[in-house]
Amino acid sequence: MSLVSLRPLFEWVDAFPSSIALRESDYGYAVMLSSHVVSMALFAGLIVMMDLRLVGLGYVRTPISQIQKRLFPWQMLSLGLSSITGGLLFYSQPMRYYGKVFFWTKAVVMVLAGANALAFHLTTYRSVAAWDSDPVPPFRARLAGALSMALWAGVVVFGRLTAYPWLTFN
Amino acid sequence: MPFFQWLDSLPFNKALHVSDWLSPANNLLHLLSLVMFAGALVIVDLRLLGRGLTQEPLAQVARNAQPWLIGGFLGLLVTGIPALTATAMMQYYNSTFWLKMYILLAGLIFTATVRRKVTLANEARVGHWAKVVGLVSMALWAGVAISARLIMLL
Repeated sequence: MSLVSLRPLFEWVDAFPSSIALRESDYGYAVMLSSHVVSMALFAGLIVMMDLRLVGLGYVRTPISQIQKRLFPWQMLSLGLSSITGGLLFYSQPMRYYGKVFFWTKAVVMVLAGANALAFHLTTYRSVAAWDSDPVPPFRARLAGALSMALWAGVVVFGRLTAYPWLTFN
Repeated sequence: MPFFQWLDSLPFNKALHVSDWLSPANNLLHLLSLVMFAGALVIVDLRLLGRGLTQEPLAQVARNAQPWLIGGFLGLLVTGIPALTATAMMQYYNSTFWLKMYILLAGLIFTATVRRKVTLANEARVGHWAKVVGLVSMALWAGVAISARLIMLL
């Protein structure tokens, strides 16, 4: 795979008593997975609502800065819950995910989605006062919104695809 | 039961059984529809609880969210039907499936009646009931999502 293999690290965690206990528990997986689905749907859903405004398709009479400011705390809360539940899911069986191409793809796409958000906030969003109430924001804002929707949809898709045996190795 | 046997026998199920990517693709679209539905639902439920887009009237937030709520729900419905028919007999005997259906029915009725009335009404007249409606809405739909996810697990 690469010069530095993460395999020993994954195998080490996979053997932890707490990891084993979690994946062998009767209801652990069910609880972790359903809470991950709910918090993920909340997070991605609120992101999409904001992105719909950014691309000029929805909520067009609401100023963008208001949507950003007011939804951000809830987006972060649900991101936190998704990450905790996702982290637990991963922690309970690292070696199951190690060999899955879709797992690594999901991780990369998540990083790209974060980078897109950060880049937007550090550049285009700086001038938001000038176009805050425009029904159709400037091109770079619309691009950031469209990319955001595509990338987070990708995270959901690749995450779901890890459930299948396709592109699984080792 | 005869209805479920009929669902099981529908011609397009063959395609779902034979193909190894059609059902997964349908599940993915179901999941993406859920994302849109959840966003549109929660943006209004949060507002009912006095959080989120508080600088706008409740009715305005609700009206803006409505097309996405309906669109998301239609997506869930259109993908949900093949998801059911592809494994109709298994679902019939699965008690978690029936639990989901009961909560879904309750959710639909509640959203189409009480919640709709409260979100489009004059905020001052609604008062504390808004919070109750918001909480009930989130609880019902979370119940649908959780029981749905548990169908194959429990």
